[in-house]
Amino acid sequence: MKKIRVLIIDDERAARSEIRRLLAGYPDFEIKGEAANADDALKMIGEQTPDILFLDIQMPEKSGFDLLESLEQVPPVIFTTAYDQYALKAFEVSALDYLVKPIREERFEKAIVQARQRLGKADPAGQIFVKDRQQYHFIQWGSVHLVESMDNYARIFFGDKNVFLKSSLNQLEEKLNGATFFRINRAQIINRQYIQTITTVDGRLKITISTGAQLEVSERQSAKFRQWAVGK
Amino acid sequence: MKQQVTISLYWKCQLIGWSVTALYWGYTGYSQPGFNWLLGILQFISDVAVYVLITHLYRCLALKLGWQNLGLNKLLPRLVPAVIVLGLVYLLATVSKVYLFRVWFKPGFSEPFGDFFDFYRDSIFVAGVRLMSIWLLAYHLYHYSKREINIAKENAQLAVITRDAQLNNLSAQLNPHFLFNSLNNIKALVIDDPKSARRAIDLLADLLRNSLYNGDKQMITVKEELELVKDYLELEKLRLEERLQYHIEANNQPENIMIPRLCVQTLVENAIKHGIGQHKQGGLINIQLNNEHNILTISVSNPGKLNPVEANNGLGIKNLNERLQLQYKGTAHSSISETNGTVTATIKIPVV
Repeated sequence: MKKIRVLIIDDERAARSEIRRLLAGYPDFEIKGEAANADDALKMIGEQTPDILFLDIQMPEKSGFDLLESLEQVPPVIFTTAYDQYALKAFEVSALDYLVKPIREERFEKAIVQARQRLGKADPAGQIFVKDRQQYHFIQWGSVHLVESMDNYARIFFGDKNVFLKSSLNQLEEKLNGATFFRINRAQIINRQYIQTITTVDGRLKITISTGAQLEVSERQSAKFRQWAVGK
Repeated sequence: MKQQVTISLYWKCQLIGWSVTALYWGYTGYSQPGFNWLLGILQFISDVAVYVLITHLYRCLALKLGWQNLGLNKLLPRLVPAVIVLGLVYLLATVSKVYLFRVWFKPGFSEPFGDFFDFYRDSIFVAGVRLMSIWLLAYHLYHYSKREINIAKENAQLAVITRDAQLNNLSAQLNPHFLFNSLNNIKALVIDDPKSARRAIDLLADLLRNSLYNGDKQMITVKEELELVKDYLELEKLRLEERLQYHIEANNQPENIMIPRLCVQTLVENAIKHGIGQHKQGGLINIQLNNEHNILTISVSNPGKLNPVEANNGLGIKNLNERLQLQYKGTAHSSISETNGTVTATIKIPVV
């Protein structure tokens, strides 16, 4: 059986050894490394591509939130913190779970069970972590129906919300799964799962997505889109 | 057992006031020819009794109507008719009394009461109004001033209570975040380094004891504060390890000076949060106390850059500043500055 690969990120050695000890009771989890700050963690995530992070929020120079914002693909996260839950709620973050230190074993077990479930049905498109107006969001790419370019930002539409991500559309297009996402014109990328109808008006392709919005495929992309739309 | 009879100030004033007045009248009678001692004594007793009765009835009425609680502007319009009514009562009582005495003591006195009354009416009414005015003014001014003094006293008390309550609210307490981080650290040390774990529990116990049992104590000596700060730093060093270095220096015997509880600790906690907590390599916390020219200067420095937005925003520092303001009424000062990558927080406290 494939093990769940874990990275522990906390600036205190004692706190890291506590997580290590708690994880020792779960042989399906394998600790791939420990990092004492966000910079080390960023390097390790690139090298190890962990399945899950145990992440402290308060760390020197860069916080746990800063670290997640700098990641292109964010693995599922369990926050560990000495903050109380109310203080954490202020961040409006919906993480996989957050554990307050010191961590009780039965509480830790719940987090482990949740992590196993989540990893069993992980969204293959992954997720990102975005700060928007003092709020942090974990956004599953699967829930994104449209990405629009706005100057130096990409505006990401999901559900009835949207956030701005500092990234060009070209960068995102490269990163995103080509089977799910398609760039229909210079300014827009759409998610296949949300397409409702495709019509041709005066030789131009028009798409209606589930929110009711009408989008147009540029002439340059039309041939490619037809190929992509029929599935491959 | 002897029972203590106490006469209230009101009754003392009533009896003494009317006795003096009646004695004065008696004296004017005595200096005239044909003075009768029996009549003089009867006059004296009846004067005191009748006028005490009249004014006492007024007092009962005034108390019932709550006039003693009225402000001056509401009281005066009520006093004017009261004086006139009392003057009339005085007139009636006095004339009747004098007439009766005439009938008893002057043989052959046969003047009808109507003529007698008309003859004395004006002079006695004027005298009555004057006496009653004096009585009413004395009575109400006394109550008015007493009330004002009470209000001033209550306000002063209230100010003290408010200040104490504010100080209690602002009282520095151990940061819960620090407490839970420490507990988590101890939990790990129990296995990794049991000797340090035992030491950490001792330190934390003392800090908690101080916080829980001395929480209402606003002022402590520098010596007590420094002991607490040393415990705090030792405990934080067990958690932050080599990232935290510290140095404490006290000059010119400040040990016995009283300072607000946890004022140094608040600065140190802030220095660790911003100076050590924000640097991967950590750094040195430098604590200096200097007692000079009746001013105690406490400065705590840490490596780092001063963030003008955050500089005075920390709850601990904000509370400390408010406590200093309340405790020293503007004679204590706090400041924070940065030179060459070292941030220094300073407070200056007058030594009394």
